[in-house]
Order: sequence, then structure tokens, then C-alpha cells
Amino acid sequence: MQRTLEKILPHVQKPARYTGGEWNAVVKEWHDIDVKIAFAFPDVYEVGMSHLGLQILYHVVNTRGDALMERVFAPWVDMEKVLRKGGIPLFSLESRRPLGDFDIIAFTLQYEMTFTNLLNMLDLAGLPLRSSRRNRNHPLVIAGGPCAFNPEPLADFADAFIIGEGEEIIGEIIDLYKVSKGKSRLDLLKAMAGIRGVYVPSLYHIQYFSDGSVSSLAVEPGAPEKVVKRVVSDFDGAPFPQKPVVPYMGVVHDRIMLEVLRGCTRGCRFCQAGVIYRPVREKTPETLVRQAEDMVGSTGHDEISLTSLSTADYTRIKPLVTELLNRLEHKGVGISLPSLRVDAFSVDLAKEVQRVRRSSLTFAPEAGTQRMRDVINKGVTEENLLDAVSASFQAGWHAVKLYFMIGLPGERDEDLDGIAHLAVKVLQAGLKCNVSKGRLKVTVSASSYVPKAHTAFQWEPQDSLGELKRKQSYLKEKLKKERKISFNWHDPETSFIEAVLARGDRRLVPVVERAWKLGARFDGWSELFNYDLWHQAFRENGMDPAEYAYRRFSYEDVLPWDHIETGVDKKYLIREHKKAMQGTATPDCRAGRCPGCGLCPALEIKPELPGGDHNFDPLRNLL
Amino acid sequence: MTHYGICYSKEGPARFISHLDMVRTFERAIRRAGLPVAFSQGFNPHPKFSFGCPLPVGIPGREEYMEIELVSELSPAEIEEKLNLALPGGIAVLRSFRMVDNAPAIMALIDSARYKVQIDFQPEIDFGRIASCISHFLSLPGVSVVRKSKDGKEKYCDIRKGIFRLELESLQENSAVLEMVIKTGSTGNIRPDEVVSAFTGHCGLPVAEYGVYISREALYGPGGSSLESVLQKKEE
Repeated sequence: MQRTLEKILPHVQKPARYTGGEWNAVVKEWHDIDVKIAFAFPDVYEVGMSHLGLQILYHVVNTRGDALMERVFAPWVDMEKVLRKGGIPLFSLESRRPLGDFDIIAFTLQYEMTFTNLLNMLDLAGLPLRSSRRNRNHPLVIAGGPCAFNPEPLADFADAFIIGEGEEIIGEIIDLYKVSKGKSRLDLLKAMAGIRGVYVPSLYHIQYFSDGSVSSLAVEPGAPEKVVKRVVSDFDGAPFPQKPVVPYMGVVHDRIMLEVLRGCTRGCRFCQAGVIYRPVREKTPETLVRQAEDMVGSTGHDEISLTSLSTADYTRIKPLVTELLNRLEHKGVGISLPSLRVDAFSVDLAKEVQRVRRSSLTFAPEAGTQRMRDVINKGVTEENLLDAVSASFQAGWHAVKLYFMIGLPGERDEDLDGIAHLAVKVLQAGLKCNVSKGRLKVTVSASSYVPKAHTAFQWEPQDSLGELKRKQSYLKEKLKKERKISFNWHDPETSFIEAVLARGDRRLVPVVERAWKLGARFDGWSELFNYDLWHQAFRENGMDPAEYAYRRFSYEDVLPWDHIETGVDKKYLIREHKKAMQGTATPDCRAGRCPGCGLCPALEIKPELPGGDHNFDPLRNLL
Repeated sequence: MTHYGICYSKEGPARFISHLDMVRTFERAIRRAGLPVAFSQGFNPHPKFSFGCPLPVGIPGREEYMEIELVSELSPAEIEEKLNLALPGGIAVLRSFRMVDNAPAIMALIDSARYKVQIDFQPEIDFGRIASCISHFLSLPGVSVVRKSKDGKEKYCDIRKGIFRLELESLQENSAVLEMVIKTGSTGNIRPDEVVSAFTGHCGLPVAEYGVYISREALYGPGGSSLESVLQKKEE
């Protein structure tokens, strides 16, 4: 296989995607290892190598003496063709072994539109797609990540899903696998179901009413009624990759990712990450400085990104940034912030850290009017935004990007007018700050809202395709007059299929399989997404995707993902949904008042804010 | 400021690193190695090093050249050792040397390159046929290849004058090894794969699928001179 690969690689695009051998990649002596895991990322190398979770789990597993983890990514379409033609099974980068040689294949599900790639990778590995067709001679196929919180459309393909954070549970799975080697696949799966956070879908028998809600759920003995997500017990002390793999080729996030905090309790009602990564936990500044220095030395990167869902929320962000700059700036290492909160404080911070590289700044007001922002609980005012962009223009940036969603629940045309209105105000702020007319630029991005499981909007239908298209052209028309405003939008068909899968159930299993069989691959890539294939897959199965995307559930319904437990109380989500409909805001629990999401008592945990002293009130001080 | 020349190899997985990514790879390796590299002035300072001649992606190089500028003196042996501990698999420093004062840029000095080309044939062909193909090919007054310019337009170029040498080194079963020296560098560059496909195409040779492997064996200055003889400062 090695020789054939050497022959083939010069003939595919970007062969460095498939060679391995990068700095800090770990190659272990295969035969000395008890449990061999392939981390499978169902998208291309450049996307997968930008994923922090991969680097964390790679580090966790490869630190063990008895286990190894190697990497595999979805081959781009040209490589797939060559692999199929040459009869070459999909292989891992480190030891170039076929995936079938591994004990466990662990997928991460970051995005619904990678689901067909998961099937394609199993097929390219020569494995049966369906769990029921695999036995103990096949690798165990598991999948985690945010989309595992509603794994039902993939229920028949994976043997088990991992719900929640992987750092600790992966070790428990390895330990169990080691002592279960002679056992049948069914016995192994039954034992796995006993691990907290493991969902073995074949042990759950689900039936649905015609409206899509669950009519009956029968759980086999030994498996929990509700699978509760895992949360690492000590975030500050959690394992972190001191020696992340450094790609040869440029990847999407080509820098050190320093995770400063996990979780976000701002409570935006559309946001699934805000629910599934709760509670908020910060690392101590000491830990972060140590990790940053270690990683600069071990990688040679010249940039550290302070990652999290909302980095400016880190309690002592300013002292942290100052300390990092003091220690690293003379080495030519810069700091970047992945996204900015919409306020002047964040811009100040960006100004301070981004002394070297100048690009545009991005803000996400998400909606165009205060009414709509109150509905989604995005605690941002027009004044916040104008302060933020004025601060950016004064600091020397001349381009800003604004992110919005269209199709939010209860949206009216006046909310679209609000987007256009805000964009024009931002432009005017630029002129007022004397940004040169030739360079001033405002980019408005509007994505189509996709209702997600486990959020306050999980009961809501998506806007119809026709309505989303109408709203796009309405907004485009509104913004056409302003030559300094450019308008970007996403393909609404992609968001439609995303919505179908995000709130899907097990009846979609044959549809996903059929779409893959018809050729669906890389559905998240607009140049490869083929809506007609999906349409045909639904039709052939006698199903209508619109029923899924446009379904409105009622509070009483048992939802297809209700047996997966995030720790956030459904009653709280109902309350949040009602408040949304009234346009009432809910404050962040960091501000001191617990809004009662139920997570802390349910998971017996607490927010960890060691970044600051506990009397410090981050929100009041910063805003 | 001291300028050093570095001779290195780029093989194995590293042969698939594009030129742009090589720049990034060396930036990181230099930082990991802790070399006291000089930085350019300006808004976006970058470490001062440059490569002699980019290798096409996929083609290994046995003896490639680059130059680097350091702010403090280091012995060539020390540079070699430090870099080798920090370079990823497939890239290795073979030797390093101080450069003469006012040395020309390596990039401007390089004039030709020697390649080894292994070609698998399907079906097999005999020695006589290849030998006569080579002499026929070399007797052509011109060899025209199509190149795409940046705006996508196709343009014919004559590469014959840039083919200095083409010889059959060995033939075993269905696999021939050729050696060629062709014009390379900033004053008119010829790609090795251009020569190979012009040659096999012109002579109608039955090349097997994925049957061509090319490696760059050496780089030369004008008239086939050794780069190091021009660039290397005599150690006292």
C-alpha cells in the first residue's frame, strides 16, 4: 500500500493532506499497543486540523502507554476517486494503516452537513455502514461532538455516541475495551452503556407519532433512561496538548489554540453551544501562561488564539493579555481573538493584542432591531454596536464585518429593515471617524437561522425556503444602494437540510444513507452541495423534508432527542421560549442571579471562575 | 549580521510541501531551534531567509539551497545541529557555511538543475528503442510545450535550448532511469515534468499510469559550476 500511495499522491490536489509526518505527530510501535484508536474527522484535513478537540484527545490518548490515536480525515473527491479506483482502503496518516485495522474509530460530529462524509469514510474503509452488520472483528465505531446531542439521524451507523466532553470518558472507554476483547459486540455495547455519557442507540427502541414527536421509547435493561452529558471535573487541571501537531500545509486556523474558558452562559436563545458546553469554567491565568509558553516552544507558531465561546468574558482578560504579551512579544509571537463581543471593551482589547496584523474586525449583533435581539436574548444594543465600531474605526481599522441571522422566530420585515439601517449607521460612524472613503467597507453577512435541539427554540419551525429566499432578496435590495456595503448570504437550501438533520429522528437513517449512495459528499461545501440528491433521497423513501424543517413541536411533546440530557432543564427552556415570545431578556448567571437553568444541581457541578476573585462582577464592570 | 548558506534535502512526506508552506515550515523550525534570525523592518516583520529555487510539489530534492541571515555569529555546525533537531520528518540540513561578503543571491545564481527520472513502461520496451528516442528527441531543432499564463491563456514555448543533457542511465525490466540537466532559475525556468511529457509524448513511449518519478539531484550555477564554490567563504 505504501508504494501505491507514493505513486498516487503526486497526482491528487494538496497531497500534504494525506502524508502525515508533521511536527509533533505521534507514531507508536503498533504491535506494542493494546487499544488503537483512529480519530476520524469527517471533513478535509485543513478543517480537521483546526479543531482543538482533535488535538486534545490526541494528546490524552497518546499520553497513555497502552493506547494510541492516529488521525484520518475525509479524502477530497479527487482522492476518493483514486482510492476507489486503486482499491486502496482509507488509511490513517501516522502509520498509514487501513481504518479496519483499528480497534476503535472515533468520529467527531461538528456539523450536520458532514454526516454523509461519515458514511463515506466507513465505506472507503471497507466497513459495513450499519452497526447491526458489524461484529467484534470490525472496529467499534463511536461518535461525539455537538451533533451527538441529537444523534438520531445517524442512529444505525454508529455503535455508540459520546455525549459531552471527551477528555475523561475516552479513558474509561479504553479501559473497558481492554477487558472486553473476547466479548461479543453486543456484550461490549451493553457494558459501554453503563458508562455515564455513552448512548448506545441500538438499546433504545423509539417510535414516533405522525407529527414527529416520540410515541414510545423502550430502553433495554442496563441502559439509562436518559443519557447525561459528561463534563470534565477539573477544567483548570484538565489535560491540554502541550505539543499539538503542527501541519505542513496552511490550515484554517494555523495557530496555537489556547482555550481560556469553556462554556458561555449569556443565554442566547438560538445558541446550542451555550447549552451543551455549560457550565462556564475558566482556567487560571497561571495555567494559561504556562500552557502558552510550552506550546510556543513546542510548535514554533507565531500566533496564539485565545479561544472560547466568548473570550472577552474571561474574568481577568486584560491582565492575562498583558502577561502573555510581556512574555512572548519579543519572540515575535502575537495574540489573536477569535471573535469579539459587541462592545468598546472588546475593541480596546483587540487593539491592544493585535499590534502586528491588521485586518477587519467582526461583530455579531445577530439581529437588526432591539425587539428581535430581545427575542433571542442577545444582550446587545445599537449603542453597544456603534460604540464598538467607532472604537474600531478610531483605532485604525477601516473594514468591519457584521453577522446577522435571518429567519429567526417571530421575525418581521421591519427587523430586516433594521439590519440595513444598522449597516448604514455603521458606515456613517466610519465616515464620522474620518476613515478614508476609498478604504471604508462594511460587510453584512446574513445566514439562515436553523433551529437546534436543546435550545429554547427547539420547538420552532424554520422559515420556509421560499420565505428565506424572499428575505434575502429583500435585504439585498435594501443594501444595493450603498456601494460601500457588501452583502453575503448562505445558500438557504443547505440551511434547510441542516435544519432537517438538526431536529431529525431515526426515520432519516435511510434518507442519509440514500443521499450518500446517490453521491452526496461534503454537503457543507457550497461547490459540492447538491440539493437535488437530497430531494431525491427523501422522495425515494416516501418522505418530505419540509415536515422536519417546518415542524412545530408543542411543549408536551416528547422530542426525538429528549433522552439525551444536557443538564439544562426542559422547564427552563420552556420558560425561555415563553420569555422570547414576550421579548423579555434573561441575564447571564455570571452576574450573580441564577436564572435556574437547572444544570448545576442536575450535574452536581458549579461554574468555575478562578480567573478572578469571586466578588468580581464581570458583566457590570465591563459593560 | 552574518549570512549563511544551507544545503538541505527535502524528501519523503516533505516533498509534498508546497513552496509557500516551506516558508512557513522553516519559520517555525527556526523559532523552535531558537536561531537568532534577523527580521525584516516594517509593519509586518518577517524572518530573513530565502530559498534558492522552489521545487515542484511532489518532487524530492537531494541537495537544495537556502540562505539565512542571523544577528549573531554561530558556527555552521551549530546551525546544522539546531535546525536538524527542529525540522519535521523529510527535511534535513546536510551542511551549512558562511557566505562570502557581497555574495549574490542564491536565487539569482542558480542556472541549471540535474534531475533523475524513473519511468515505468507498460508494456516493456527495449534499450535500443529508448536510446534512439533520446537521440532523436535531442536532434529536434525545437521542442514546443504549452504553458498556461496567469490569465489562463495558452502559450507555446520552445524548451529545446534549455535541455542541456538527457541520458539513459539504466534500464531494468519495465523501468528506465534517465538523467537530465535542464535550465532552472530566475532567468528562464523549465519544469522537469514538461521535459518528460514532451519526450515521452513525442516518441510515443508507453508510460504506465502514475509511472513517472522525478527527483532533483543537484543545482548548479552558470556553466554547471558548483554553488558552494561561488558562495562559501573560506574558513580561516
